[in-house]
Amino acid sequence: MPSLVLPPNVNEKTFQKALDAFAGVVGRQWVLATDEDRYTYMDIYAPGDADQHTPSAAVGPATAEEVQAIVRLANEYKIPLWPISRGKNLGYGAAAPNMPGTVVLDLGRMKRIIEVNERYGYCLIEPGVGFFDLFAHLQENKIPLWMSVPANAWGSVVGNALERGYGYTPYGENTKNICGMEIVLPNGEMVRTGTGAMSNSPNWHLFKYGFGPSWDQVFVQSNYGVVTKMGMWLMPEPEATLGLNMQLPDPDDIGWAIDVLQPLRLNGVLQQNPSIGNSLRVVATRSPRSQWYDGDGALPDDVLRSILDKWNLGWWGVNLRLFGYDEVNEAHARLIKAAFAKHTNQEFEVVKWRRGDPIENSGAGVPTTNPLQIINWRGGRGGHLGFSPVLPAGGEHVLKQFHSTKKRYEEIGVDYYGSFTLFDRYAINVNMMVYDRDDKALTDKVRNLFTVLVADAAKEGYSEYRTHISFMDDVALSFDYNNHALRRLNETVKDALDPNGILAPGKQGIWPKVYRGSRA
Amino acid sequence: MIARSPLGAIAPYLSFAGLMTLAISIGLGHPRAAQSKSAGDSALNYGEGEKLFHARCGYCHLAGGTGTIMLGRRLGKDRALLGERTDLTADYVKKITRVGINGMPPHTRIEVPDSELELIAAFIARPASARTQTPSAAGSQP
Repeated sequence: MPSLVLPPNVNEKTFQKALDAFAGVVGRQWVLATDEDRYTYMDIYAPGDADQHTPSAAVGPATAEEVQAIVRLANEYKIPLWPISRGKNLGYGAAAPNMPGTVVLDLGRMKRIIEVNERYGYCLIEPGVGFFDLFAHLQENKIPLWMSVPANAWGSVVGNALERGYGYTPYGENTKNICGMEIVLPNGEMVRTGTGAMSNSPNWHLFKYGFGPSWDQVFVQSNYGVVTKMGMWLMPEPEATLGLNMQLPDPDDIGWAIDVLQPLRLNGVLQQNPSIGNSLRVVATRSPRSQWYDGDGALPDDVLRSILDKWNLGWWGVNLRLFGYDEVNEAHARLIKAAFAKHTNQEFEVVKWRRGDPIENSGAGVPTTNPLQIINWRGGRGGHLGFSPVLPAGGEHVLKQFHSTKKRYEEIGVDYYGSFTLFDRYAINVNMMVYDRDDKALTDKVRNLFTVLVADAAKEGYSEYRTHISFMDDVALSFDYNNHALRRLNETVKDALDPNGILAPGKQGIWPKVYRGSRA
Repeated sequence: MIARSPLGAIAPYLSFAGLMTLAISIGLGHPRAAQSKSAGDSALNYGEGEKLFHARCGYCHLAGGTGTIMLGRRLGKDRALLGERTDLTADYVKKITRVGINGMPPHTRIEVPDSELELIAAFIARPASARTQTPSAAGSQP
């Protein structure tokens, strides 16, 4: 259990006074500062470096007004805060702050679903609302709107959108669905973005832009404010869906598959972003590694091939889903089948769903935590870390990235586990590293592999769409145009909005002046 | 972010999703906030604990859930469903909730407040005499 790690430049007496002041706002029971409390906010899947991100305490407001009061007190006592929605940023640091000693501002008690508007397809929610909560609300009230849900759906709808998480429906780019937010600024002032800045606008969650600069995306992956309410667009339930599934037998098949799918994605035949993953992710959810192989190095290709043959899996799994009117889906399916037929004799497995059938067969976002099974792959206290660069959605780029990454995994001795999620113009390549947190040799390898992959990607001009707190400075450093002009802009804005450096120091490599020496 | 499993891989979980939907449709999705009373042995409290178990633990610990699958692999299918276990004490449940075990992460006192955890732990550790009075927490019985 971690003992107290104070924020930089704060003595214990001042720290205790600050906690007392926080308790005056939220009540003593919602200021959490025991050793066990600190432990619960550490990076639960950390690759051996959890103690570099130990929080000093956590405070849990129930309202936006309480958030304002805490932020003002934090300025008074110079206490840094790390806002979290539900703290399930698993594989990216979970609930833990970047800078040790930071107090976690846990918004998990703010769980109101304030409005769901069926006619215009949106909801207004607080950050503590989880995917399961919103799904339950839509189901209980028979509201025919669908959510975009990430693979592991334990977390917050707001938090996931703010981290640019994604799902697999036509509304799959979650950050694109943000429309209108309420934000507590680092000085404690509350603002509403877009037309929410009018006191009486009916357009807050309909029209994203307002008048003048559009601010929503400035508060995404940033440390410029605490989002206390968010408008999110939801997808109308379609009449039907049509799934097309195929296993691709060879590693290089992903090259032509991406080239076939990208134009179909760009011209709207395929409206969702399919994730093409290597089949180790299936194997890892079904079985422990020890069942197949006990060697220290990367799982050999011939061992993987024998597992895939046993379970009748290809090297890659392709799962596409069409959403809309049945006739249109059928027409689009014919186009996709014809395009694939130029490269393979295989036929798609077809899965059809119609309104009224059980929703879990529809391709709608149905929350589950079951993909977390992968962390049992190496046994013990499992954990995972994802390296996720963005690259052009072209077969040549994907093939090169796949081969170079797999080679690095093999050189360093980690089992390759990758997927490519295809958007209209780009692909996100999630490379998963799964480990036993107590296996120091393996977690050392994983951190080494991660650092190597960041450098390799930067040489190609690729950065991650999101990263773990331990690597935020590394990734930010790769944005080097004009001697890191973007970082100077980000930190100029940071210092203007947050002169005391209260909110999330180091988030996304953006350090306030007061802590800039902490940059890795 | 974990890449989504292909359909073949998630097929076994679809029954879990269905069960979550069922739990929601019969009103288990939103239990009343637990009062800060101590957990007694009354059937009323076990009922409250059961609702909270579904809401706070059901993400993983109903039939077909990830915790159930993990426990089944480690301890056998007869000890996989947490709501049907007879070998767990309330203190053990409370401790594991806070510190985690194997793949299960720790839970903060904001995610599961102490007052709720008391009721959940009492429900899981309820005596045999109480087990006939409350429906299965597993959702696996008709």
